[in-house]
This record gives sequence, structure tokens and C-alpha cells, in this order.
Amino acid sequence: MQTVKMVISGAVNAGKTEFIKAISEIEVVSTERRATDDTKLIKKETTVAMDFGRIAIADDLVLHLFGTPGQKRFDFMWEILSEGMLGLVILVDSTRPETFRETNRIIDFFVSYRDTPYVVAANKQDKPNAWSPDELRLALRLPPHVKVLPCVAAERESVKQVLLELLYVILQQSEE
Amino acid sequence: MALVGNIRDFSLSDFLYLVDRGYKTGCLHLNRLDESASLYFDKGKLITASRKDHAASVTDLLIQKNKLTSLQASDALVAQRNDGGANLSQVLLQREYISREELQKILQQYIEESVYVLFGWPDGEFRFEQNQRPEVTSPIMPVPLPVEHLIMEGVRRIDEWGRIKDRIPSNDLVVKFVEQPGDKAKGVQLAAEEWRVFARINGKDTLAEISQKTGLSEFDVSRIVYGFLTAGLVDVIKKPKPLPVMATGRPMAEPPRVKRGLVSRIINRIRGM
Ligand SMILES: Nc1nc2c(ncn2[C@@H]2O[C@H](COP(=O)(O)OP(=O)(O)OP(=O)(O)O)[C@@H](O)[C@H]2O)c(=O)[nH]1
Ligand SMILES: [Mg+2]
Repeated sequence: MQTVKMVISGAVNAGKTEFIKAISEIEVVSTERRATDDTKLIKKETTVAMDFGRIAIADDLVLHLFGTPGQKRFDFMWEILSEGMLGLVILVDSTRPETFRETNRIIDFFVSYRDTPYVVAANKQDKPNAWSPDELRLALRLPPHVKVLPCVAAERESVKQVLLELLYVILQQSEE
Repeated sequence: MALVGNIRDFSLSDFLYLVDRGYKTGCLHLNRLDESASLYFDKGKLITASRKDHAASVTDLLIQKNKLTSLQASDALVAQRNDGGANLSQVLLQREYISREELQKILQQYIEESVYVLFGWPDGEFRFEQNQRPEVTSPIMPVPLPVEHLIMEGVRRIDEWGRIKDRIPSNDLVVKFVEQPGDKAKGVQLAAEEWRVFARINGKDTLAEISQKTGLSEFDVSRIVYGFLTAGLVDVIKKPKPLPVMATGRPMAEPPRVKRGLVSRIINRIRGM
């Protein structure tokens, strides 16, 4: 049995747990805890260790989805999660420009030294005042080759589209 | 639909960059305590601005400066009302009450002064209303101002290390020109010190090296590069390094080169979900 892995990252409250829940075939094993420190100002529950989701591709192949924990003090998990990943989805809460800098820090961590295939998902597009994907591209100063996709993490179709777009990027970098 | 946020988190220069590259038309409203300001843009360029209690009409401004008589002002106002299409600035030009150069000079100075103080705000709520247009009587400049010009001047006025550190966290970053600055560099007027830094940018030297070669302090070099960066002229990049070592002692692996067939299988499965 071969397993491959994708990582779903983004700032606190970006929608990582929601995203994995929408597509995973198993109940997401997320370690939600009552939020402490600054996070509790934003939300009651936060992902403490990580999210985990699974999609069976065939009898001999499974895809694992790992969501990184949002809180800063779990940053050490990132290295471990990112080892050997196929690709990366960076989720952004499109309604909260105060998280854009943190988002850039995360992108920088994952892609600065390695040529990791990734896409940016402009999440919460269903909310009024969501910044559009084009606006996010400029706000995050992403280079033109990086895809910025509209996303509503609670909707499976939308999550599917984001994963497919990431897979197309991976496909381009794959070998015969 | 509006773009909202706080300039504490997403700075005014970041926003101006977005307006420019996004070719945006509309009004940026800023509020802080009991102060407020409105900046109007047309296709990415600034056309007018005002601060609360300073919102003057173009004719009031010119009368104050003795460049227009009240008679000419009321005449122009009537003419403007009869000609729905033109704004008051345009009517003044049509009637040749003032030359284009002089009108531009006076309005630009007034507008720049309204805008530059905003760079000193440590925070403030912003709201960008797409496609909102200024009043026809506003001091609308005959020639819209490119925002890089504002950014460079605005950055000259900040000395907030924190904000600079945020974009330029270390002195070993290499400064390089962006691949396609387009005609960006044209709108920018550089001061002598800025030229010294500009001339040293070669895609190889770090900020620390530029500071050494120019004899400018590291703070000054960072501040100047921050201006170029914010105006979209340069990028800062990490010096290529050997792969970093993980906490576990192993070097970080390159992403595995995956097989095309494997990726296609995953794609087909997800398409079918
Ligand atoms: N309207 C809307 N709400 C969303 C969307 N995605 C997530 N949310 C909500 O945003 C909040 C945060 O979502 P989570 O999935 O918990 O975010 P997270 O990234 O896992 O958060 P941490 O684990 O704390 O870092 C929840 O209340 C979600 O219901 C979306 O696309 N639209
Ligand atoms: Mg979570």
C-alpha cells in the first residue's frame, strides 16, 4: 500500500479543518481543543495538533491530508508535516487582511528553500467583503505563476476544485 | 462590495500597491479617532484626496491662493452645472481661467500634503469602495498621480522600524530588481541617497553589503529598500543556501519527483468524488 500526502496550511481560523472535513472519507481526526491564549479572542475551538483526513484512491493507494495547527506555538509541527509532501494548499481567510502577513510567513516557510508545488485558496468567498482572488494575489504579492483560487471550504465541490488545481500543478512537475 | 481592514495590519503603501497593480477605481476611506481622509483613484492613479474639515472645492482652494476671482468661480460653477460631463477642474481649464500646469501644481501640492500625513498613522480603519467617484467640485488633478510617487515619499516619512522589519527581516537578504518593472521606475523621483542605493542593486549584494559599499547606515539602507520594495521596483530574496537541516538533524529533503501516472490516478479519483 502506497500513501501520498498533501498539506493544508494557513493562518489561524483560515478554514483548514473545514476544508479537510469537506472531502475526507473518514471522520477527520482533528484535535480540537478549547482555544487558549490569543486565539480564544477569535474562536472557541482551535486545532491543537493537526487535522488528518484520508481519501482512498485505489486498493493500493491512499491520499492523506494533513492540516497544520493554526497556533504559532505548534510551528515545529510544520517541518514534520512537510516532509515528503506531494503538494500544499495555503488557505487564506479572504475577509481578514490582518492574517495576510502571517500567510506570507507560512508560504515562505514551506516554499522558500524547496520547490514545493502549491496553490493559494481564497477561502470564505461566500462572505460579504471577501477579497477576491485577484485582490489577494496583489495583497500577498504572489508571483504570476502561482494559482489563486476562489474557495468555500464547507462546499465539497469547491474543495475538489482546489485539490484538482493543485494536482494539475503537481502533474506539470511530475516525471514520466 | 468593499475591501475593509486596518492599516496597522495591511499598510497604506500595501494598499496603494494593490490599487495600482489592480488598476482600481474607487475611494479609499480612512478613519482614525476623530480624523478621516478619502483618497479617490481612477484606474490605479490618485485623482484627488481630502481630509475631514479640509474638504475644499477646487474653486475655494484657488480663491484662497489668489489664483481665481469669486466671479470666475461662480461663473465656472454655473457652466459646470450646465455641462453635466465635465468636472469643475476641467471647466476652469476650458474657460482658461488658469493654465493646466499651474492648476496641476497647486492641486498636486494640496493633495500630496493631505496624503503624506496618513503614512504617519500607526493604525486606522480603511474601507475601499469600488467605483465610488469624487464630487464634481473636488480638487481633481488634470494629471492623475502614479502611486509609486506617493509610496516613495510616504516611506521617506516613516521611521517605524517594526514595519520595515516586517518586510525586510534581516540584512543578509539579497536585493534584486523585479523582472518586469514596466514603466514603474518612471513615476519615481529619487533623492541622492536613494540613488546611491539604487545604483548598487545587482541581484547579488545583500543589504549589509550595500550598506558597506555606500557608507549608509543599515537602517537607512533598509528604509530605502523598503520604499523600492513597496513601490514594486525590487524584491528581496534569500541568499541561496545549502538545504537547511531539520531539528531532527536530517537535511530537508527535496520534494519527491512523482510519477505522472500516480498523479493522474489521484486526479481521476477526485474528479469522480
Ligand atoms: N462562511 C464561511 N465560513 C467558513 C468557511 N470556511 C471555514 N469557515 C468558518 O471559519 C471558522 C474557522 O474554520 P476552521 O476550519 O476551524 O479553521 P482552521 O483553519 O482549522 O482554524 P485553526 O485550527 O484554529 O487554525 C469556522 O467557524 C468555520 O465554520 C467558508 O468557506 N465560508
Ligand atoms: Mg482547525
